Amino acid sequence: MTTSTGTIAGATAGLAEAERERIHWVGYLFIAAFGIPFLIFNVLPVIFGFYVAFTEWSIFGAPEYVGSRNFEEIWSDPWAWQAFTNVLWYALCIVPSVTVLATLFALYVNRGYPASGLARTLFFSPNVVSATVIGLVWVWMLDTQFGLINHYLGFVGIGPIPWLTSIDWSLFGVAIASVWWDLGLAFVLILAALQDIPKDLIEAARVDGAGPFSRLRFIILPQLRPVLSMVVTLQLIATLRIFSQIFVMTGGGPAGSSASPIYYIYTTAITRNLYGYASALAIILFVLILLITVVQRVIFREVTH
Amino acid sequence: MMTKITNTPHPMSRRRLLKSGAAAVGGALAAPTLSTRVWAQSPIEIVHWSWLAASDGEVWAKSIDAFNEAHKDKGVQIKMELVPEDQVVTKTLAAAATGRAPDFGWGTAGKGAKLARDGVTVPMDELAVESGLDLSDFEEGPLNAARYPAYDNALYLIPMDLMSLQPEINLQHMAEAGFAPDAAPETGEELIEWGKAMTRMDGDTVTRSGILMTGSGVQPTVTWGIVAAQMGFERASADLKTAAVNPEAGIAAMEWVLALFDEWKVSTRDVTDRYKAFGTGQGSIFWTGPWTLNGYVGQGLDFKTALFPQIGEKRRTYFEEGGLEMYVQQDKGRYKATMDAIKWLSDNSFEWTTVGRGASPRKSILAMPGYDTAGHPWNVRGAFIEGMSFADIYEVPVLDGPEFTIYSGGNILAKTLELVWTGQATPAQAMEQLATAWQKALDKG
Repeated sequence: MTTSTGTIAGATAGLAEAERERIHWVGYLFIAAFGIPFLIFNVLPVIFGFYVAFTEWSIFGAPEYVGSRNFEEIWSDPWAWQAFTNVLWYALCIVPSVTVLATLFALYVNRGYPASGLARTLFFSPNVVSATVIGLVWVWMLDTQFGLINHYLGFVGIGPIPWLTSIDWSLFGVAIASVWWDLGLAFVLILAALQDIPKDLIEAARVDGAGPFSRLRFIILPQLRPVLSMVVTLQLIATLRIFSQIFVMTGGGPAGSSASPIYYIYTTAITRNLYGYASALAIILFVLILLITVVQRVIFREVTH
Repeated sequence: MMTKITNTPHPMSRRRLLKSGAAAVGGALAAPTLSTRVWAQSPIEIVHWSWLAASDGEVWAKSIDAFNEAHKDKGVQIKMELVPEDQVVTKTLAAAATGRAPDFGWGTAGKGAKLARDGVTVPMDELAVESGLDLSDFEEGPLNAARYPAYDNALYLIPMDLMSLQPEINLQHMAEAGFAPDAAPETGEELIEWGKAMTRMDGDTVTRSGILMTGSGVQPTVTWGIVAAQMGFERASADLKTAAVNPEAGIAAMEWVLALFDEWKVSTRDVTDRYKAFGTGQGSIFWTGPWTLNGYVGQGLDFKTALFPQIGEKRRTYFEEGGLEMYVQQDKGRYKATMDAIKWLSDNSFEWTTVGRGASPRKSILAMPGYDTAGHPWNVRGAFIEGMSFADIYEVPVLDGPEFTIYSGGNILAKTLELVWTGQATPAQAMEQLATAWQKALDKG
């Protein structure tokens, strides 16, 4: 009896083991379509990039191991410091602007004011245009002498601003174009979240005597916190990776005043062919994005709870 | 009765799948390097990478078409592929590393030391002789510029065209300022006088540059490079051992460029696209290269070209030499066919060096009847031919040569000078930084 029970138990365990080992082919098929390209074009290059960061390499021939030299050189590279400082300024300009404006626009559309349907399309439309086209258009809009922006500013007595040709303004010039481009996605996300807020919650607040500002402050914004957290996170990551607008609008200049780390990495690798040094820069940017994202997520979680 | 249930191994377990998958991925990645090049079969298709995408590219495409037409029954054809200029070195390196480099491509003399060191480009002296290309027909200076002293002084590029920077001048602006159509500024003082006469101001702001500049990038860098060289500055000594010879001249040239914006007020920093600005009349004098001629002539711009004025002790200007270089192949048998094709393109480069761009490096082509009258009118083309006599600001043929080039908007030189143009460093501080960076570059060899 004991032997039989043991045998059955063993057989059951064997079946369970067999079940664990059984392949669910359909599942693998589904993930393979994404998993294999992701492995080949993302994971492997990242791993290889970590390796290259500790070498001097010009693609042709074997990488020469140089230890931490590339990282040490970054500390004394003023252009790298400037690029990393710039991207923090970009984040400070773009992320709050996009979040606040997208929230305001979403509130406007959600209230169903006249032309809100048209506004919905207008607010989102820049996001469907490529960053390169946005950059080219804004180069003309922000031209110091002939740009539309300076033309209209002139009507209110503001002199021509060298948006893209001055070290004091170029970063803001690029940021303006980026805000205009990025606004659409944030707007749609926030609008969707607004429409999910239960109407009876707002109605109850109204019955209790809450005015529009109180309803916004005590009902709507707390309900929006999760989506605002997501918008800020996505926008932050996108801003830390800013490249196309800079490439098209300023080429990182003048004097590196609008360069971002990605742009600097691009020129270091593709123009100067310093692949080891560029990989080291990329790793530092990766760590920076990771740290900022984690800190930001922790802060939002604490606020939400 | 006991039933023995055996745990039959499944024909494909997760571990096996992962192992098989990894092997398959590895195999797929390795396959391209193991496979043979199917296009290497007869008839030979010679792969050519070109980054000429502007109006000069159209002329070059015609040259390739002419080669293919002339060789359609001879089993050799050139397949030209366009590669963006800023990516061409990276792509060539990657292609060479995987054994799939193009057979030949465009290069610039003096900028390919790393490719020569790594064996990506192929020495061409013997191949040229084998193919019957008469190297003695080339001007000596351009041929030497295509050699690398550190690598057996071998020839790594067959010169195709010689270019220099010369001023293009808007004829309408000249007429408005009262200058005769055949006049041109000859000295630094005259240049500034001309610039002032053609500049348009709105209050204290320059709205049309007498001398077209940009606030950063290539234009102020190359201007500094030319003026500094005229004043006696050398980026590297002749033996390539010492950087920044005669730094005082380099500092004086930086001050000269700054004065264009701030003292003489003949230029504005607010121009972003220099080519477009000259084409739309936002500037009067614009020093640039012959690659602009097709575009400006095509759009009907009323302009002429003059010789670069003598601003310093000696009249000099930037020299650029375009040419064709060959890349390493697994099948060495392809070299002969490639060199034969390059020889044909060089021998038949009359149109390229009259309509395409630049002056011919070949004595026989320069001596051809009608060379002066072919292509664009002499008043727009002539300075680019005659001006070659004092175009002697060459590239520095070292591994980090691109960091020395004065025609750049993103190398160490350009970025350091931008600190001066934007007031973040004094000329003396910038010169000190440049000397340090360039010395380090020279020490690499």
